Amino acid sequence: MRTRLCSLGWHLLLILLVMATIYPVLQIFSISLRPSNALYSTSLRIIPEDASFESYRVILFEKPFWIWMRNSLIVSFATAILGVTLASTSAYALSRFELRGKNPMLFGILTTQMFPATMLLLPLYLLMRNLGLVNTLLGVVLAYTATALPFCTWTMKGYYDTIPRSLEEAGLIDGLDELGAFWRITLPLAAPALVITFLFSFLAGYAEFIVARTLLVSKDLYTLPLGLESLASTFQTEWANYAAGSLLVAIPVVALFLLLSRYLVEGLTLGGVKG
Amino acid sequence: MRGHFLRFHRWIGWPLVLGLISCAPTSDDPHRLSIWEQMEPAEQRLLHEHLQQFETEHPGVQVDVVHFETENLRNNYQTAALARTGPDLVYGPSDHVGPFSIMGLIEPLENVFSADSLALFLEDAKPSLEGHVLRLADQVGNHLTLVLNRKYVDHVPVDTEDFLEIARSNTVDENGDGKTDRYGIVFNLTEPFWLVPWLGGYGGWVMDENSKPTLDTPAMREALSFVRRLVDEGVIPPSCDYPLADTLFKQGSAAMTINGPWSWESYREQGIDIELALLPRIAGRDSWPQPMTSSKGYSLNRWIPPARHPLAVELLAFLTSARVVGRISEELGTLPSRSDVSQWPRLQANPTLHSSWAQLVKGRLMPVVPEMRVLWDVMRPGLQHVISGRLSPEEAARSMQQSALRKIEELRK
Amino acid sequence: MSRRTVAWWFLLPSALVLGAVVAWPFVYNFWISLTDLGLYTIRDGAHFIGIQQYLRVFAEPDLYRYLLRTLVWTLLNVFFHVLIGVSIALILNRPLRGRSLYRALLILPWALPQYIAALSWRGMFNYEFGSINLLLAKLHFSPIPWLSTEVGAFAAALITNIWLGFPFMMVVALGGLQSIPREMYEAAEIDGAGAWWQLRKITLPLLRPVMMPAIVLGTIWTFNNLNVMWLVTNQGEPGDSSHILVTYVYKAAFNYYRYGYAAAFSVLIFLILLGLTWINYRQASRSTYGA
Repeated sequence: MRTRLCSLGWHLLLILLVMATIYPVLQIFSISLRPSNALYSTSLRIIPEDASFESYRVILFEKPFWIWMRNSLIVSFATAILGVTLASTSAYALSRFELRGKNPMLFGILTTQMFPATMLLLPLYLLMRNLGLVNTLLGVVLAYTATALPFCTWTMKGYYDTIPRSLEEAGLIDGLDELGAFWRITLPLAAPALVITFLFSFLAGYAEFIVARTLLVSKDLYTLPLGLESLASTFQTEWANYAAGSLLVAIPVVALFLLLSRYLVEGLTLGGVKG
Repeated sequence: MRGHFLRFHRWIGWPLVLGLISCAPTSDDPHRLSIWEQMEPAEQRLLHEHLQQFETEHPGVQVDVVHFETENLRNNYQTAALARTGPDLVYGPSDHVGPFSIMGLIEPLENVFSADSLALFLEDAKPSLEGHVLRLADQVGNHLTLVLNRKYVDHVPVDTEDFLEIARSNTVDENGDGKTDRYGIVFNLTEPFWLVPWLGGYGGWVMDENSKPTLDTPAMREALSFVRRLVDEGVIPPSCDYPLADTLFKQGSAAMTINGPWSWESYREQGIDIELALLPRIAGRDSWPQPMTSSKGYSLNRWIPPARHPLAVELLAFLTSARVVGRISEELGTLPSRSDVSQWPRLQANPTLHSSWAQLVKGRLMPVVPEMRVLWDVMRPGLQHVISGRLSPEEAARSMQQSALRKIEELRK
Repeated sequence: MSRRTVAWWFLLPSALVLGAVVAWPFVYNFWISLTDLGLYTIRDGAHFIGIQQYLRVFAEPDLYRYLLRTLVWTLLNVFFHVLIGVSIALILNRPLRGRSLYRALLILPWALPQYIAALSWRGMFNYEFGSINLLLAKLHFSPIPWLSTEVGAFAAALITNIWLGFPFMMVVALGGLQSIPREMYEAAEIDGAGAWWQLRKITLPLLRPVMMPAIVLGTIWTFNNLNVMWLVTNQGEPGDSSHILVTYVYKAAFNYYRYGYAAAFSVLIFLILLGLTWINYRQASRSTYGA
């Protein structure tokens, strides 16, 4: 009885939290239904009187939404894969090996995030121009990877640190080499951190605006945020379409999260292996 | 777990690699022009039609258009042109071109156009700085006018007192819940662009002929007091910013608004029966509010490759030619930038253009010097503090002038 | 491959990417900060003027006010991000029905584009018509002048940014909770320890190593977060009173073309963050890594 009450309490609390979380989302939904392109509303109604789903039709079928989506997905998956690969390996080196200058290196990684990003745009543009990467998706992927790497490396390192070394040593005794031990033992155990890293690098690129705006000019290369900007102008922004597009943008993220959360929270029960 | 991740990779791996490799062509192609713009949607549609025409007349030529939000256009053009790349033509409002010219990012147009062809443009349409023509416009005006909702307002206010009277009688609580359901007047109270007309009306202006700020003046104090009075009388919601004014007027909850040519069509689309009117004469005086006028048009990038330069100039000439300017004016109700076009009988007969022209004559051209940016930035907080009641008009005017002097000084450091 | 070789090969690619994309632009900016690059010098080339720009930065009368505001902004944001994120993760870590639905809904703020989210929050904070004040009125509270007072605007931006940022901490915490061996709880229960004791003595200490990077970097990101403040307060409403350091730098560079000055200011921001993070890092590594 007590546990049931308890669980009811948790549900109530969660429902409250969820309501507070999705209320602003409902506001955006409400904007997407207003054919008058009004950003604000003067009442509490979510569904306006003249509600229409026209904006969703326009976004999906009249705007090059699928091109934006394709580009965003390419960029985000590439960033995520690159980010996870680089972070999981370099963090392993930083967690498992006694390297000279390890601590300065760890700290140095953090310093790369400290400079105000807007001031880095012009030099970044000059660099990418010299590398021939302006107006290429590869250029933005590299920039995003650099943004995501510090967090990813640190998270992976923090997680590796919680995995006992004895497990790898056992693997080495069983005839695995260094790479094998990393690949077959440590990496699978670090699944939750891999998920965090993947998700984070994915999102670093998925809805990023300023770098993309600076580096990409061809319409065929527009990512979602650039596509949405094309709906905006100083005075006559297509708010309904903008809001509809924004909500559609969120769907793949939620889907990806649902797909990955199995490994985030229920994957291998590490406790059992670690004991 | 490992197997699953690997399969994931294989599934998306190839499309990914292909997508990353596909680059855009390089920018040295002599037949491929590009324009960066910050146009409103209707202007964009017209531009595309005109470009199709240009491409038909010039086989093998392709023009790419990239749309930006205004501030993003300025930042990105700056970045690209400082790196000696960027589009051939850049389209935007007046406030950008002064700094662009000083930084050497755009080419002076008197070098590429004959004096005769430049003479066809109205003064407003070819802003110049230090003797250089910075830009040729395809429309002039962009100024605020009074917009009446005819459902509530049956006559054009004769002066500011009449204007206030109309506003008061239209500020009503229809359902008696203690909250105002309809406001007399709504406009953007957070931006000094909406303050400047009153400043001019009371006989002031933002700067003198040497670009020195003139903000701490009786005119500024009176202009601020006037706007403050609207708030005190309750005829405008004190938190009124652009989106709120837009929302209220579109849903018929406001009798009057103050807005520019970009907005009129969207009000009509919402079924509001609008009438354009002059901003009302200042009561007790013979002076009229002076909305800031400006133009929008094309500048030429300083770094166009020589092989493409003639074609870029030709495109600029085409986009500001009489037929294009005339068509924009007819379709969008903006005022033409050329004196030959403004004589067209069918434009002269158009009532919207007529009202807009009447207001334009009362307006005053926005300065293109970089100091203007500073003035906007110092008037904004002053205005907002007066609206919220934290500063009196006197204090606000003084602090505007002080920060303006300091910030203009800093521009050179 | 030897252990050491593996290690260096593992590190090399990351170092290359970070070096190219971040280190070089940094050096470039440092160089600019020693020049008078700006609106009037850009065309003909800037001059080397030593540390003059830095002296100007320190002479800026509002510097300390902005700094204080930025510190409060950062501290409150990170505190609430972690508090809310970790609490939700702890609740969601229990066997509850419909957990994945809750998770999916709670991650939404992270998934949505910030621009529209921040603007619709701004609409919700409107004094007369915003839904927050309308709701307050329904509950018979008096409306709050969110955007027209300095404190109100700060609170509005803060609430918006907390909403935007807690899902990230939630995800990190959810992952971190998996690194805690279950036996520890079992042993504690055998010893008769209560839930509160378990939380304080097992969960939170063991969550730390995984949360640390998120907290340290979250601090840095929030310190330099331009967007939310800029959008919710409409560039510093009311009357330029809601600036933080980065919004000031942004204005100097992009509105006033003072590249040299803005670069010097950015170097200062960098040094402040370096100092803060170093203190943070020393403490964290002493207690978590035993270094």
